Amino acid sequence: MDEALPLDPLAVRLERFQGPLDLLLHLIREQDIDVFDIPIARITRQFLDAIAGVERLELERAGEFVEMAATLIRIKARMLFPRPDDDDEEADPRAELVRRLLEYEHFREAADRLAVSERERARHHAKGYVEPRPAPAAHEVPLESTWPEVWEAVLALAERLREPEPGYTVRGRPVRMEEKLTYVLSVLADAPRVEFASLVAPWGTRMHAVISLLACLELTKRGTLRLRQSAPFQPLWVFRRGEEKEADAA
Amino acid sequence: MRPDRMVEALLFASDAPLSAAEIARIDESLDEQRVEALLAGLRLEYEREGRAFGIFEIAGGYQLLTRPEYAPVLERFDTVPPPARLSAPALETLAIIAYRQPVGRAEVEEIRGVGAGGVLKTLQERGLVEVVARGEGLGRPLLYGTTGLFLEHFGFRSIEDLPRPEDLPVVLTRSVERDG
Repeated sequence: MDEALPLDPLAVRLERFQGPLDLLLHLIREQDIDVFDIPIARITRQFLDAIAGVERLELERAGEFVEMAATLIRIKARMLFPRPDDDDEEADPRAELVRRLLEYEHFREAADRLAVSERERARHHAKGYVEPRPAPAAHEVPLESTWPEVWEAVLALAERLREPEPGYTVRGRPVRMEEKLTYVLSVLADAPRVEFASLVAPWGTRMHAVISLLACLELTKRGTLRLRQSAPFQPLWVFRRGEEKEADAA
Repeated sequence: MRPDRMVEALLFASDAPLSAAEIARIDESLDEQRVEALLAGLRLEYEREGRAFGIFEIAGGYQLLTRPEYAPVLERFDTVPPPARLSAPALETLAIIAYRQPVGRAEVEEIRGVGAGGVLKTLQERGLVEVVARGEGLGRPLLYGTTGLFLEHFGFRSIEDLPRPEDLPVVLTRSVERDG
């Protein structure tokens, strides 16, 4: 029987582990276990304890841990009750697991070496480091759909395209700057001054207001008129040039 | 015009490694061997003068890079982005692909004991691995291999720069007997 070990070093947070092999290696390392002679009953129990909270993980990750648990239990069973048809006395039920652990450990080591190379390379900067080189164009992804699926999609598309939705779009008349210039001048020909709001009132749309304002600014620039406003958000007044003095006097 | 200065200008203007053959294309008087000789001369010159950069061999080419001792200086300059590091799952997956290529997703998953779809997609998007072939058998699975960008990312001249498998210690073998 295995002795119960103090469980503190084995209290694990499952999320920390990349997968079941990672967790197994952790358990083996923490207890200085010889990987070629794994006490399978003890490791199985500890593994099951460790994955007690497995339902917190997303389904796929949880499945990976549960699958390993099943493998461990199967190995344990085969060690307790060797199959009578196992002619090979030498066959250790743990052999495949050991092979996988060593292989995984091997690549973990390789990954550590890669991390070292990555750190070293990162200490060299190329010209243009501020704007990294664009990644190469995405690779062509091999088609995974079958022809019937493609045809179905094409037919569905044709179905959709056949009946165009009846609909009408009403577009407003474009507002021309020249028209506004003429209009502003014509209004000012009749009156020495006019409130800006009244220039826009006949139409009332934002576009007319914008173009009217631009027209007034343009005419101001040409010296044809002046714009005055007593304070921000107060009514804006448009004066024929030379008239605002009279207004001031008034 | 001095040929070594032409090579220097090209290296300076390039932000990616250039092979000797590519460099030789700038002038009809150059061939690969001549370029190698010119590069060796430039290297000596930079070393002698203690320049902050040097010519480094990366991904089968040559690239002007700053010397590592200047990294802290550059990192103090706030427009230099911190070097992008790959996650542990990404590094493990890359290691498997680097040593086993061409290799399918199933083998990667078998070795790591976890699903590899997401990691493979990320590595592919970052241009570190690519589909190099299709395997035999059911569904003709996609087989992955490493790219030139992989070599650039890790500063390898070629795939031969990977540590040899027999040089990777397997720590688990030197463990203490305690259960016997």
